[in-house]
Amino acid sequence: MIGQQIFNGLTLGMCYALLAVGYSLVFGILRLVNFSHGSIYAFGAHTALLLVSMNLGIVPAVLLSLVFTGLLGVLIDKTALEPLRKKNSIPIASLITTIGISNIIQNLLTVFFGSEKKAFPALFNFGVISIGNIQITWTQICICIVSLGLMLLLVLVVKKTKIGLAMRGCEQNPKAANLMGVNVNFVISFTFFLGGVSAAIAGALISGYYQIVYPNMGYMAGLKAFAAAVLGGIGSIPGALVGGLLVGVSESMAATFLGSTYRDCMAFVILIIVLIVRPNGLFGKKGITKV
Amino acid sequence: MRKLKRVFGLISLVAIVVSSMTGCGNKGKTTSGDSSSAETIKIAVAGPMTGDNAEYGIGFTNAAKMMADEWNKKGGVLGKQIKIVQYDDKNSSEEAATIAQKIVSEGDIAGVIGHFSSGVCLTAAPIYQENKLVEISPSASHPDYSLVGDYIFRNNTVISAEAAASIDIAVNDLGKKKIGIISIKTDWGTNTSKIIKELVEKLGIDGVSIVAHEEVVEGSDDYSPAITKLNQAGADVVICAGMYNLVAPVAKQYKQINPDIKVVGFSNSYSQQLIELGGLAIEGVCFPVIFFSESKDEKIKNYVSAFEKEFGNKPSALTSQAYDSVGMLLSAIEKAGSTDKEAVRNALAEVDYEGVTGQTKFDENGNVNKQFVKVTIQGGKFVKMN
Repeated sequence: MIGQQIFNGLTLGMCYALLAVGYSLVFGILRLVNFSHGSIYAFGAHTALLLVSMNLGIVPAVLLSLVFTGLLGVLIDKTALEPLRKKNSIPIASLITTIGISNIIQNLLTVFFGSEKKAFPALFNFGVISIGNIQITWTQICICIVSLGLMLLLVLVVKKTKIGLAMRGCEQNPKAANLMGVNVNFVISFTFFLGGVSAAIAGALISGYYQIVYPNMGYMAGLKAFAAAVLGGIGSIPGALVGGLLVGVSESMAATFLGSTYRDCMAFVILIIVLIVRPNGLFGKKGITKV
Repeated sequence: MRKLKRVFGLISLVAIVVSSMTGCGNKGKTTSGDSSSAETIKIAVAGPMTGDNAEYGIGFTNAAKMMADEWNKKGGVLGKQIKIVQYDDKNSSEEAATIAQKIVSEGDIAGVIGHFSSGVCLTAAPIYQENKLVEISPSASHPDYSLVGDYIFRNNTVISAEAAASIDIAVNDLGKKKIGIISIKTDWGTNTSKIIKELVEKLGIDGVSIVAHEEVVEGSDDYSPAITKLNQAGADVVICAGMYNLVAPVAKQYKQINPDIKVVGFSNSYSQQLIELGGLAIEGVCFPVIFFSESKDEKIKNYVSAFEKEFGNKPSALTSQAYDSVGMLLSAIEKAGSTDKEAVRNALAEVDYEGVTGQTKFDENGNVNKQFVKVTIQGGKFVKMN
């Protein structure tokens, strides 16, 4: 049973990791925890559902939803966060703004889609493989593959491309980057776009796995992914992966040995321990002083 | 320090804005109420109109409006038109306490239909009892609810009766012996699972036993750890103590591991959404209900088609129980000959009402006894079990 539970946890962890990447990307550049990320994820899932119901076919629908959700990320940055940056307001103002945005998105989704849980078509539904007494569905395997591929792609974008260079420049010192001719606002918007896209991919994959979509879906998942990002060292993409997997596995272990009611608290127990023992996380850089 | 001051300034500003906004809301409500209170009789419908369980609260309101319309067409009650007033408690106990205070302080509400979940009802009921206002919940099934007082009624069976019916389906109709339980961690879910365990023990049929019990948090979409444990324990039937949003994902996720598993639910999973959400996986899921919309009964047929015409979907069991609750309250008012609270209560206790959810009469605690219909899902439709 433990093997099975570990695999359940790994799949769940992959989903958290995908979400945690979104937190890490934005935090890496702005030193801002984007609490609207969970709602962006719910938005991505709902857009995908809407487009699927328009008979576009599942693959184009999901791809289109990625674009829309990415644009939502840009929109959030342009309308709510950029004005605050221009006024040099205190960091906590941006943080609270993201919480507000999260509520706005969630309630708009409730208004347009209704609060009830809706069915989402199954993705990668090719059946079950049995290894020993462990049963693995193809959906789980595909989630792992797609997530890993996406993270690899993101690492490549950040490390190998020109825009990635600009992102790393902004991360170290936005002012200096600006003086070197980097369009900082564009880079930030691009980062939000990437964050939105990763949230939408997570939304589509997770909804395809559980086949459920509803406006509040991002709340708990978002908070747990945040814990995963902190565990891995917020700002680091491999850290998000490892953090997500650790949170997922510990959750399913907690469900096995302590009972299902204790699983939700695991992420937060981990969060507290990490903040006490190693505030920079497993892969985090030292010397981050701003919150 | 300056930063701190600014933060405090911001918080107090927000507090002022919010309080002034709620102030306006209240004012608007009372003025509109005053203008119409003389010639109408007002009935409050309280339930979740927004948030996670909004479909139930909106169903209650729709049903109440439909019943009120029927009466209004016949000339209303006591020569006055009936007005349904909607209150949103978001299915949260904190909100419900405020809403209940608000309803009793309105002063001209003749009775309350609601609230939705048992835990929420248990918070609101003492307030109605204290102010001697009749409350009929169409959905609360927790044994303690109607014990709050003599003004508290319900048009739903107590959960022990329903649990017995569910066990009956699992053991006698499906012929299974190893029962697993998945319940949601709420006051209702925990209590229901306890009752199931006691009933199975009391039944004492040879070989029938509870092999595992898992409590899950409502709204966590991943039930695989709990399912893995139940499967390991060798359960061949699972009783799901939760609403459709628990039954559908559990059936789906369980059937991926064990396609032969049987799932038994409760009447609160009887909703069109169960089929939409569950797809193929919920084929064969069974549960007992006290209202079945596919019934051949002429009265029910008329009601269902009228409801469908008006609101575009078939009424669920709980919606229909709300429909009858309003009917009972109105007959009680008519019989009492006034909206005097005590007279209405006494009349309601005596009411013998023939509604779409069967013949209804309250016992001394304000509970009802009803016949169960066993329903299962075949070919994407609810059908009666043989």
